[in-house]
Amino acid sequence: MEEIKEDIMAYLQNKSFMDSGTQLNDDDSLTMKGIIDSIGLIEFIDFICEKYSIEIPEELLTPENFDSISGIVNVIQKLTK
Amino acid sequence: MRIDEYIAKHAKETPQKTALEEKDKSISYSLLDEAINAITAEIDDFNHCKFAIFAESGIEYIQALMAVYRSDNIAVPLPVELTESNIRQILDSNQINSIIVTDQQYSRFGNAFFEGFTTVIYISKDSSVKTLRKEIIRENNNDLLRLVMYTSGTTGAPKGVMLSDENLITNANSIIEVLSITPKDKAAQVISPHHAFGNSIINSQLVAGGSIKIGGLTFLESTFKLVESGVTIFYGVPSTYRILLKYPSSFQRSFRNVRLAASAGGAMEVEIVEKIKQLNDRIEIIPMYGQTEATARLSYLPSADLEKYPDTIGKPIPGVELDVVDDSKKPVASGITGELIARGKNILIGYLNDEEATRKKIVNDWMYTGDLAQKLPNGYFKLLGRKDDLIKVADHRVNPREVEKYIGKNNEVSDVFVVPVDHEYLGNAISLMVIPTQDTEVETLYTFCRKNLPGFLCPLEIILIENLPLSKSGKISNRSIIEEYQNVKANM
Repeated sequence: MEEIKEDIMAYLQNKSFMDSGTQLNDDDSLTMKGIIDSIGLIEFIDFICEKYSIEIPEELLTPENFDSISGIVNVIQKLTK
Repeated sequence: MRIDEYIAKHAKETPQKTALEEKDKSISYSLLDEAINAITAEIDDFNHCKFAIFAESGIEYIQALMAVYRSDNIAVPLPVELTESNIRQILDSNQINSIIVTDQQYSRFGNAFFEGFTTVIYISKDSSVKTLRKEIIRENNNDLLRLVMYTSGTTGAPKGVMLSDENLITNANSIIEVLSITPKDKAAQVISPHHAFGNSIINSQLVAGGSIKIGGLTFLESTFKLVESGVTIFYGVPSTYRILLKYPSSFQRSFRNVRLAASAGGAMEVEIVEKIKQLNDRIEIIPMYGQTEATARLSYLPSADLEKYPDTIGKPIPGVELDVVDDSKKPVASGITGELIARGKNILIGYLNDEEATRKKIVNDWMYTGDLAQKLPNGYFKLLGRKDDLIKVADHRVNPREVEKYIGKNNEVSDVFVVPVDHEYLGNAISLMVIPTQDTEVETLYTFCRKNLPGFLCPLEIILIENLPLSKSGKISNRSIIEEYQNVKANM
């Protein structure tokens, strides 16, 4: 789990609107904090699919799963099992 | 008439009919009309003053906009995707004293941001309205001015396009005619309402007495659900369709009952059209062309001609004349390239506080689009690039020289060049080529861009170069930049 979280944080730090000064809690909303927009999320999902060799069905493209670090970690864990 | 008066009319004639939907919320024309009145009551004593509207896409945004119209004031919608510094620039350059703000945007920027306004009207999550502060300051505005709209691709000091009631209503009616919108139509609004295209959805649907279902494009599960819930007209820019088509089975399911897919903002590639047709062969596809300066639309390509003339912008919408002229502003014959010009009651009043730009844009009642075009023998028009160096990035018109200047002025670099590059979803994105100084740090540049530019302008890559060979004329042009970029990439 920690490893997945590290991957995600590294991606966000490099590719999103987040900068090194941003304080981000696991449950914070990525869209409300302006860290990711719609195109950013699509690209992020492409990255996750490739990195973990998973497919994410569109029913799972919800805020519960993709608007926070904890949601994303959960969904990756579920799909890689 | 004003746009909000149509809402009042529908509220009287068909009070129970649904006007707006958002997630699980749905309001009728009569409730919409009452909500507009509630905000109007707070600002009715202002006399033709500018009100910034700072609200995310949603029912409250439309209510606030219509209340500003109803109180005979002037709406200045702030594009919420812009960064705080860009929004500041819009506010500061136009001396805006009054603001209507939603709870969400208020908490985003905090108390200090709003201290500069003498009037603050606050809309909370439950749609209730509160006046936090109020002082009526006399303003001297253009008599016809109703709405100031910002083009979507601007950075630095953006130009505000001044539009009148007549502009808004004329364009709404032309769009209603071209798309055959009826009160039965439910439109999906998943694109930003703060710019011309999204704004035109609001106007044409509400003038026609139809309804709007408001949502977003971020979490696609809900986007597909929204479309599936009885939407008959879907509006999107090409990148909207590219994103949705990534999930063909959901697209097929949710678009089953959509009768019309309308697009604007950029050319609909044959590929997109074919994919949509494969998934729903009954859907009508109508690409449209326009500019913020034309309120929204100027021309459309009838769906019957989509296959025959896929690379054209079709013909003018009702009430608009288009022509092509040479450098001395004389019309040219069909097949000859010149600048596309447009005339009609949807053409802007002018740019806010920028008479020089207005004089260049409108000459003898004709608006100069800046697009190079040819007239075809059948009366259709074909676009052939820009007269200036503007480029399309993510379906926004962007001035690369302006972006370069903005980055260059605020960073430790010797020179910056913006390169348009292909992007899977956006069509075009940008990369930067930078001639560094000793103190240039690539990471700092990325951070600057993320903080100060809208998302679609954040560079995919930043490449350091030693120099840029100038063209013979000694000018920087998109062509010389792209050539150098290809050179650099080939040698990497």
